[in-house]
Amino acid sequence: MGQKADNWNKFIANYGLLLAFLLAIIVFSLWSENFLRWGNVQNILIQTTSLGVCAFGLTLIMMMGEIDLSYAGLTGMIGAVMLKMIMAGYSPVSVVFVCLAIGMASGLCIAILVVGLRMSSFMVTLAAWFIYMGLERYIGHGVTHWIYKYDENILKIVQGHAGPLPVPIIIMLGLFLLCWLFQTRTRTGQYILALGENIEAVKEVGLKANLLKGGTFVAGGLIFGLTGLIETLRIGGSMVYSGRFLLIYALGAVFLGSAAFKAGKYNFPGTLLGALFFYTIINGLTLNMVKFYYIPLVQGLFLILAVAITTVKRGEIEQVQF
Amino acid sequence: MGTARNGDEDVVIKASLISKYFPGVIALDNVDFEVRKGETHALVGENGAGKSTLMKILYREYSEDAGSLYIDGKNAKGMGIRQVRNLGLSLIHQDLNLVPVFTVAHNVCMGLEPVNKLGFIDWKELKQKAAPYLKEISSDIDLDAKVEELSNSQQQLVTVARALVAHPRFLILDEPTARLDQKSTEALFDFLDRCKEKGITIIYISHRLEEIYRLCDRITVLRDGEKVLTAPVQELAQTELVKHMVGRELKQQIPKGEASIGEVVFSVRNLNPMAKAKDISFDLHSGEILGIVGSIGAGKSEVARAIFGADRKQSGVIRMQGEELKIRDPRDAIDAGIALVPEERRKQGLVTTESIRKNMTLPSLGKNFCAGGFWIKQRKEKEAVAKSIKDFRLATPSPEQEARLLSGGTQQKVVIGKWLLSDSKIYIFDEPTKGIDVGGKHDIYKMIVDLAKNGAGVIFISNELDEVLALCDRTLIMFNGRLVKEVINKDTTKNELLFYVMGGKDNGSKSG
Ligand SMILES: Nc1ncnc2c1ncn2[C@@H]1O[C@H](COP(=O)(O)OP(=O)(O)OP(=O)(O)O)[C@@H](O)[C@H]1O
Ligand SMILES: [Mg+2]
Repeated sequence: MGQKADNWNKFIANYGLLLAFLLAIIVFSLWSENFLRWGNVQNILIQTTSLGVCAFGLTLIMMMGEIDLSYAGLTGMIGAVMLKMIMAGYSPVSVVFVCLAIGMASGLCIAILVVGLRMSSFMVTLAAWFIYMGLERYIGHGVTHWIYKYDENILKIVQGHAGPLPVPIIIMLGLFLLCWLFQTRTRTGQYILALGENIEAVKEVGLKANLLKGGTFVAGGLIFGLTGLIETLRIGGSMVYSGRFLLIYALGAVFLGSAAFKAGKYNFPGTLLGALFFYTIINGLTLNMVKFYYIPLVQGLFLILAVAITTVKRGEIEQVQF
Repeated sequence: MGTARNGDEDVVIKASLISKYFPGVIALDNVDFEVRKGETHALVGENGAGKSTLMKILYREYSEDAGSLYIDGKNAKGMGIRQVRNLGLSLIHQDLNLVPVFTVAHNVCMGLEPVNKLGFIDWKELKQKAAPYLKEISSDIDLDAKVEELSNSQQQLVTVARALVAHPRFLILDEPTARLDQKSTEALFDFLDRCKEKGITIIYISHRLEEIYRLCDRITVLRDGEKVLTAPVQELAQTELVKHMVGRELKQQIPKGEASIGEVVFSVRNLNPMAKAKDISFDLHSGEILGIVGSIGAGKSEVARAIFGADRKQSGVIRMQGEELKIRDPRDAIDAGIALVPEERRKQGLVTTESIRKNMTLPSLGKNFCAGGFWIKQRKEKEAVAKSIKDFRLATPSPEQEARLLSGGTQQKVVIGKWLLSDSKIYIFDEPTKGIDVGGKHDIYKMIVDLAKNGAGVIFISNELDEVLALCDRTLIMFNGRLVKEVINKDTTKNELLFYVMGGKDNGSKSG
């Protein structure tokens, strides 16, 4: 049991997921020569956008020791609202504004119930999900509408390029950088992490823990609003319950991410990696014409593999440390 | 104004008729509490007496249900933590409220981190800012270390440094020495002496009465949420003080009768835990209380944890009644009839969100409280827990109270109680009286003596030589990870124990 073995374990615990990801990339690129083509890489990144964005919001909230599932319903509801507005001829700017405002309002309501009235965030946001699902039906009557029939301008948001990169990728990577810098470098970001680690430590020095918590729910809501906007534009229309698939994938990305870089802690680079992981597998398998029902199967196996590597190794470290 | 020396001008903290209620508990009942400028004021009382609650009210963490509060002449009623901190009041909590993943420097400066033009935390300046405060209290803690990597003692020192960042004129310390080792305790006392010279007003809570006589000027005693008295320390003899705290006469310090020591029931040979301790061998007889002493870091807890299977061990043989035990984890140890009351109880021994009842019967549920190994015998369980609550005089409204809502010392008692219900053959106690009040200590000693009387073997690990001397039959002394000496308590003195604890050797300078 030397220092060397110890360092190796630590390395695997922190970078095991990254290694598994690289392994997947190598396998897919050997399997299909198209996989590493720039066009395909862009594809993967664009597909990951709404999941990535959503998972960043979720990371922020899980970091402070709470949970928010409302995004699973909010996305669909925002889609329905957007279509109503677009069909009524509102400008793209006002549509974007309304989406983000709905997200923030949702975050604010959750904050009031969870922080103000001390209700459990799991139950409140589960209920919010159902409510939004109902509202989506109520607003959109469960009918699919396509945006291009009414307004092509707004679609440019997701179809345009800024420099060499498509706009969705810029949004996702930009939000990632923003969240990452905010969380690791600013005081508020560090306090959010501290809330999850030991809320008493935050209160003890006279910081307003409740305000911080509430504010984080609102920020999370804003990001979920953005998720709804991007997802609807990416699909190009309002599909019934469109946010539902996000539920598991976003949670999965955040959990998976917590097994990377800072073993055992939620962190933004990990979340980004987790989100990319899912779509890389989808993309790699689809390219090779693997039947669609094998995709979740392979994803599941990879999940277990990645988590197994990191936990086994981490377990050893902990035992040595005691 | 010379005549007004003890008059109102001197009073800087004035709490009048404070009451505080929790569901089912009257934590404070019309308490008057006055602190004078520049004094060191001790606050004492049994576990659950309301000391921490009163301090949290001063710090505005709780608001009182009735009463008034003036700090430095200002009405503190509507204030929050931030405002009283700005008034110069700092509270060092009984619990270590630190962020484990942050560095020491960051924890010290929490809430006051310096930022650069971009609004980002300036880590270099943060470290510089934290350094002088930490230096006040310790010279060997690394500012860049994560707090989770520190020992309990070091973590406690970090909380002291953090309190200093606010430049307090009034400093409250809630049982600061319960987690500190010898050296750090000395460092803390030196630091407090310096504070006194600077005219800082101190409120000091501790269950160790010698500390109070060493440090304090006046003393206030709380009992069951009521104030019993405030008096100058010199006017109150220790026995008197204890009587006021407990509200009854404690017969003798340790109720030890004649021990009836039997056969060897338990033996350890060449035990090598993963860390610190080396080559430990000893025997334990039935009915015997065996003390293990040694300074912090000598490896006592490591031995206990290795025996119990809480840590892995490199090698070693453990026998119970001659039969070799294979202990891979605590479950094996419990099944073999070994119980360990761990040192850091709140962390290692308590499910804080569960009730007292569930906590207490957890380790012995299968063995003692289940019919056919499946259904819990609720009547029996309830009766046993009710008896423990009474024997231990736990300060709680009901057996169903969540453990996290209990006072610090009461939580400790719950963990000890839970192992006493387990009906084991060997009991290992690691610092069981830490943070426990005088009356409670007495209760614990009595329980331990009773266990031994009933034929169990007891290993009693402690830093307090007085209690080891009085309670145990035989004592092992550890130094630097090794067993260096074994003494029979009848034939030894505190000085002899101290000599070996400090690393003295038989053929060394000691005469006789
Ligand atoms: N948040 C809370 N909710 C419910 N009851 C509480 C709470 N805080 C304290 N109590 C109860 O109030 C009483 C006083 O507790 P407190 O912590 O002030 O005692 P203490 O004198 O500090 O004891 P110790 O010496 O054990 O630390 C106890 O009976 C405790 O169970
Ligand atoms: Mg207390």
